[in-house]
Amino acid sequence: MSVRESIGLHEQSCTSCLICVRDCPSQCIEIERHTEQLTEGRRPKTVHVLDAFRIDYALCMYCGICVDVCPTDALIWSPVAGLALPSRAALVSDREDLARRAQ
Amino acid sequence: MSAAFTPISYRVVAEPTVRVHVSELACCAIEVGSAVALGLLQPEAPQDAPARIDVLLVSGTVTELLAPAVQAQWAAIGEPRLAIAVGACASSGGPYWDSIVVLNGISDLIETSGYIAGCPPDPRRIIDGVLALVPTP
Repeated sequence: MSVRESIGLHEQSCTSCLICVRDCPSQCIEIERHTEQLTEGRRPKTVHVLDAFRIDYALCMYCGICVDVCPTDALIWSPVAGLALPSRAALVSDREDLARRAQ
Repeated sequence: MSAAFTPISYRVVAEPTVRVHVSELACCAIEVGSAVALGLLQPEAPQDAPARIDVLLVSGTVTELLAPAVQAQWAAIGEPRLAIAVGACASSGGPYWDSIVVLNGISDLIETSGYIAGCPPDPRRIIDGVLALVPTP
């Protein structure tokens, strides 16, 4: 039986679609994004670009719904433990921390 | 709380000078119980060496009704002491953060020195966390 240690993020796979943010029952995921116009290709299109991705592990209930619903498998279960920290604010994992958990 | 109720203290098997008290409030307390079953914690015995630090593990959802009990348990522990929030509820209110009767973590109540993430955390992670958060002698 495996232990759900934490959640990791493959940044390059994330399309910042916000499905995980909407489906998270404890509302612990926060995404910041902006749109960019792509002019190359057959015709111009608008894409979302990820600016910030935060998971508040003080709120996360480890249900794994975000991992299940992620359409690009950017969110994964990570074997990296170590979430015993001296401050409440430190339990908020940022994009770099989540990417490290996905390596 | 009846007068006959005496909470049990535990010692961390890997570091027996750390005495652990538990606020058993919800499901996280079952994981602390598993740590006892796994042999990571053991009930304090009279022959144990003097404790160098006391740790209060607040494990579970802290409601307004139970907050005074946690406060009383904390007040009964002598210095040096450390309060650790085990799991999401004790850290921030967890899945119940939006409930009017649930405290958004024990830091509103007592001085908290550590937070162990999980819902609930694995018993091994609870003990790893305690050892990481307690200052080394």
